[in-house]
This record gives sequence, C-alpha cells and structure tokens, in this order.
Amino acid sequence: MGIITRAVRNISRRKIRALLVIIALGFSMAIMISIPAGVIANQESTLGLTQNLGTTITLTEASINETLTQIDCTLTPSFEGFGFTNPPNFSDGSAPQGQGGMIPPDLINFTLGQFGGGGRPGQFGGGPFGSGGTVAMNETLYSDISEIEGVAAVAAVLEASEGENQTITAPDGRTFTRLNTEYVIEGIQLTSYLIDNYPVLPVNITTGRNLQAGDAGVVLLSEENMVYFGADVGDEIEILGKAFEVIGVHGSSGVEDRTTLYMNLSDAQALTDNTGYITTLHVFAENSEAVTDVASSISALHPELSVSTAQERLEELQALQSSYTTALENAEASVSQMQTTAFGEIVVAVAATSLIVLFVMLYTVRERTKEIGTLKAIGFSNWTVMRQFMMEGVLLSLFAGVVGITIGSIAAPALSGLLLPTVTQLGGANVFGRPLNTTSTLTISITPELMLIALGASVLLGTLGSLYPAWRASRTRPAEAMRYE
Amino acid sequence: MSEAVLRIENLSKEYMLGKRKVHALSNLDLQINAGEFVSIMGPSGSGKTTLLNVLGCIDKPTSGQVLLDEVDVANLPEGELYKIRRDKIGFVFQTFNLLPYLNARENVELPMENTKKSKIERRQRASELLNMVGLSGREEHRPQRLSSGEQQRVAIARALANDPAIILADEPTGNLDGENKREIVELLANLNLNRGTTIVIVTHDAHVASHTERLLLLRDGKIAKEKPGRHLIRKKRICPYCNSPVQAKDATCPSCNKKLDG
Repeated sequence: MGIITRAVRNISRRKIRALLVIIALGFSMAIMISIPAGVIANQESTLGLTQNLGTTITLTEASINETLTQIDCTLTPSFEGFGFTNPPNFSDGSAPQGQGGMIPPDLINFTLGQFGGGGRPGQFGGGPFGSGGTVAMNETLYSDISEIEGVAAVAAVLEASEGENQTITAPDGRTFTRLNTEYVIEGIQLTSYLIDNYPVLPVNITTGRNLQAGDAGVVLLSEENMVYFGADVGDEIEILGKAFEVIGVHGSSGVEDRTTLYMNLSDAQALTDNTGYITTLHVFAENSEAVTDVASSISALHPELSVSTAQERLEELQALQSSYTTALENAEASVSQMQTTAFGEIVVAVAATSLIVLFVMLYTVRERTKEIGTLKAIGFSNWTVMRQFMMEGVLLSLFAGVVGITIGSIAAPALSGLLLPTVTQLGGANVFGRPLNTTSTLTISITPELMLIALGASVLLGTLGSLYPAWRASRTRPAEAMRYE
Repeated sequence: MSEAVLRIENLSKEYMLGKRKVHALSNLDLQINAGEFVSIMGPSGSGKTTLLNVLGCIDKPTSGQVLLDEVDVANLPEGELYKIRRDKIGFVFQTFNLLPYLNARENVELPMENTKKSKIERRQRASELLNMVGLSGREEHRPQRLSSGEQQRVAIARALANDPAIILADEPTGNLDGENKREIVELLANLNLNRGTTIVIVTHDAHVASHTERLLLLRDGKIAKEKPGRHLIRKKRICPYCNSPVQAKDATCPSCNKKLDG
C-alpha cells in the first residue's frame, strides 16, 4: 500500500470535485503551453518577415548609394519624337518652365517616365526643341563626357517606346496624337565593367538569366512583355520584324520598368534605325560629393543636354527606406510587445495553477484533519504525512498537466490567438522587384519538447502549491483524532 | 513482581480554555504493569481523555514524568515521539477512525508502513490479526461495508499491528450498540487474558469497566478512587424497565423484552 496508491485513492474519493479541479488546472496548463507555442510560431513567422525587410533595407541602401553617383543626361526632348504631330504652342521660344499645367498631367507623367523618372519641369527649359525630329544624342558625346573630371563611368542607353498612335483631344480643342506605349525597348551597353559595377540592368530576375557582356540577339523581358508577346523563356519572338531569343524575365521595380525590355545597345540601335544614336547617358560620378560638380561641368560643356542628378529618385528611395525601417521597427516592437504580454499571461497562469493547487489542498487538509490526526496517532511521522499530501498535490497537477496538454494540442491556435496580441502584418509593397513575404501562415503546434516542459511544470507547480498545505497537514496534532464529529 | 509498562509521576497538565486556566490533571501518580487490564472512569471534565492522550504520547504534560518501558516520553521531540506511538502504543478510538478509502487489511497495514517489515510480511501480519479479531474473509472490505462492531475490530487489529507495549482505548464501545459492545469488550478481555496484552480503556460504561481488573476513578484531574475490577463491579444487573434481574450478557430483558443498554 504505497503512498502513490493512497494519493490516487484519495483523489478519486471525490470524483466530481477532482474532475472539476483537474479541468480547471488543465485549462490553466493549456494556456501555459499554448502561449509559448503561439509566441514561437509568431516569432518564426516574424523572423522571416524581418529578415526579408532587412534585405530590402540593405538593398535600398545599396541602391541609394549607387543612385547618389548617378547623373542622367538626355537631349532636351523633341515633342515630335514623342508623338506630337503639332507641338504645343511653344513657338514663341519661351521655355515652358513652370507651365506644366499646359500639358495634360498624364502626358507629363508619360514623358517623365520615358526618361527614367529623372525629369522635372525645369528640364524642359533652356534647350532647343523640335530640332529635326530626332531624340537621339550622337554617340560622340559619350567620349566627351567620359573625359570630364570626376566621372567614373558612362553608360549609353537607347530608349524607344513602341506602340500605336492615339489621337487625343485636349480641353482647349487642339488635337494631338499620343503614342500608346505597348513596350519600351532599352538598349544597354553590355560591357562587363558597367554590368559588374553600376546599376545598368534590372536586379530582380524571376526566370532565366540576366543580360551579360557580349549578348546579342537576345532580349530580357518584363512580366508584362511576356504577356504581350505571349512568350516564354527560350522562345524566339519578333520585335519590329526581327527575331530575338528570350533569355530571362525581370520583375519590375517601378512604373517605368513594367513594360521595358532590355537588349544590347547595338541591337536596339539597329532595330529602331538609330545606329550611332542614343537617348540617355547614365553618368556615374566617382563619389557622391563629385555629383554636383560633374553635373555642372556637363551642363557647361553641353548646354543642349538636360542633366538630372536623380535627386528625386534619391529622396524617393530614402523615403522608402525609412518606411521599411519603420515597418521593421514596428514588427520588432510588435514581437517584443507580444513577448511581454505572453510573459505576463504565463505568470498569471502559473500563479493561478499554484493557487488552485494551494486552495484545493488546503481545503482537503482541513477536511481531513481527523484522518491526519489518526495517522499521526498510529505512528506516522510528520515527514510521511507531508509526503502523502505533497504526492496528492503533485498527482492532481500531473493529471491536470495531461489534460492541459490534450486541450492545448487541440486548442493551442485558438487559445494563443485569443490571448496574444496580433503581430503587425507588414504592408504588401515591393521594392526593386522584391515582394515582401506577407503571407505568413502561423503553424502553432505543441511540440514534444513543450509537452515535456508542461509535465515538468505541472510537477513543479503541484509541488509548490501543495508545499504549504502539506506542511500544515504534517503539523496536525495527533489529538485531532479524538475529535468527535 | 510485575514489570511496570507505564509509570506516571507527579503528572500535571494545564491548558487555557479561552482566558480560563484549566487544570486537567494535577500531580497524578500511576503505575500500570505488563498484562494489566485497566479502566479509567470519571465524570466529564475529570481529565480522562487528557490522561489517555498524555499516556499515548499525543499530548504533552505541563510537568511530571511519563515513563513508557522506562523511557521518559514526556519530553521527547516529535521526531522521536512518532516512533514511540508507532512501536509502543496501539490506539483504539471511539469513532474507529479507519481510513474510508482503504480496505480492512490496508487499514491494519498502515502502522507497519515505514517499519522494517516487508510488504509481504505486513500483508501476512494484517491477515493474521484480522483473523484473530474474527474478520477472516473480510480483508478486502472497505469500512462502509462493515458493521460498526466489525469496524472497531479492524481498529483493534490495527492497534495490535506493531505488537505495542500497551493498547489505549478511548471509549471503544461508545459508538456501539449492545451486541457489538459486548463483543468488543470480550475481544479486549480475551486479548488481555490469552495474549497478555496490556490494555487501558477510558469508559463511561460501568459494564465495560466491570470486565477490567482495575478501575481508576478520576475526579478533578486526580485519581479519586482505585478499585479492583471484576468481582466488585460484577453485581446483579436489573432491568431498568421492569426491575427483574438480568444476566450480564443479555442484550434484551428476558422478562419485558425491552432492549437493554450496557
């Protein structure tokens, strides 16, 4: 007749009470294990998100650094080249500086988009336009600018929009045709020096490979181009009557990028009948401090060029970076808030469990004073009595632990959802073609480790909770056995 | 010369009842020899139960000596006292005090727990004792399935488990009706007679006391009178309802058929 058998029989003496106590304790235990399970799952999912954000921020930083040294030079645009049959009434020679309102806003966007986002209204000022219907810069400019002090590299680009002409009637009654762009051809100088050191090519290749030095007769499409051409990587497509092999697909990173396909500069020049011409020079200064000087030098040397230092792009990137940094901080704060809440709740659950054991055992001891007195009168030591009651408390709490694990295994997602604050979900934006992983599926499960910890905790809390009641029991005077009830 | 199992010298016990000091026992001397069958009687508040508790090492005297097998137990610490209670004393209670969730045998085995006896020995001894008190075959019954007389037999078997030097019984028949009462008294008397067990019982019941060899009358915490038992007490019994003589063993009056108590 061991101490354990006696404890079990004592617990089963009042079945309903034991059941209720075990269920109450079980719920408390279920909370105790569901919360860590929830925290672990949330932490894991947030870890993925924060890592992704971290990468994005680093990437943005790199892009900012690259952009810092970048200067875009374009010939002041001829409106004809962009599809105006009748140039707007600028024939008085005055620059349309600050008169952006004359042109339908979407046209401004459209035009700016053509120039890699670098354009500002001011760029329209100062230069001749309508000069012979060409948008191209002579390639010889390239060597001129390369020699300017502070210039590290120059990348020549030919950009051409292709599509169908569309006639638009402006509010004042004038009509003009607008090119409804279906795709933009961007010819890039494919030298390994430029490709390796400067952001001349898209960074996010989703399928296939990027362009590389020496490529010819191949094309890198955007996802929208893929749909437009109905092509896949490896397919051969026809652009303006010439065959090209699709070598890869880039994820777009901005409005201007979505319809752009990339190819070798000379291919683009031949294709669009622009041999020897380019539309844009990406000038890379040696460092960010030199940018302003280089820009002024270029302007001084070639006043016909519109020079843009990508200040807006920089600000945009910085804003983006700061918003992602904030998102990252929010995510981290959110996780740490969740941990704090979880800790508090576990403390409450632990306290509740110990208190339930404490009160139940105190009640039991009180109720069984006479029995304890009898045990002492017939020769039980204080220690044996104490052990007996500790065992009862521990067993009670161990049963509850098993019940708690069962409840927890079923209800952990619901319980942790109920008890833990929602971790801030991050916005679904993408940066440089890298969509953020926002579809985090929480898999909350009670692992075997958690079960073992829960059983250990139930033994510990049972011991803790029954310590005082058992001590009280052991101090019962044997004369209590004489009590006549 | 018989050997003193229990010797009490100059024993006093005082306790506070609210603000009033109660002298439960005052300067009491008593010797109980091995093999004696002693009953303690006295009115309520005379100190009977206090005396029994002090003898049973479940209460400590205010002053004086309690020598059990020549060991002064009055001043032993709890760490030693429980061993005395376990090995030297067998307690029998008015309310039997069996553990309801243990069967008869397990109840008898209880005092043997934490002794050198093996599990098998304990089991065997419990069965022997139950057999001796006339409960063979009922070892597996829990108390609620036993009659009150049977429960007290289990309690007596439990008291004997560790071969104690003395059995202390507090009103052992107080909760029993006629037939059961007689059986328990006979069981105790036979234990004393056949096995030489030293027994001290506290009782209100003159009939029970009449079976003992020695009767102590307690009054105001002192032994007021000491009489030899049996032959003195064994006087004619008269039915309280019809005044006709009845035998000591009769549970009902043979003349008027009414139930007799005691």
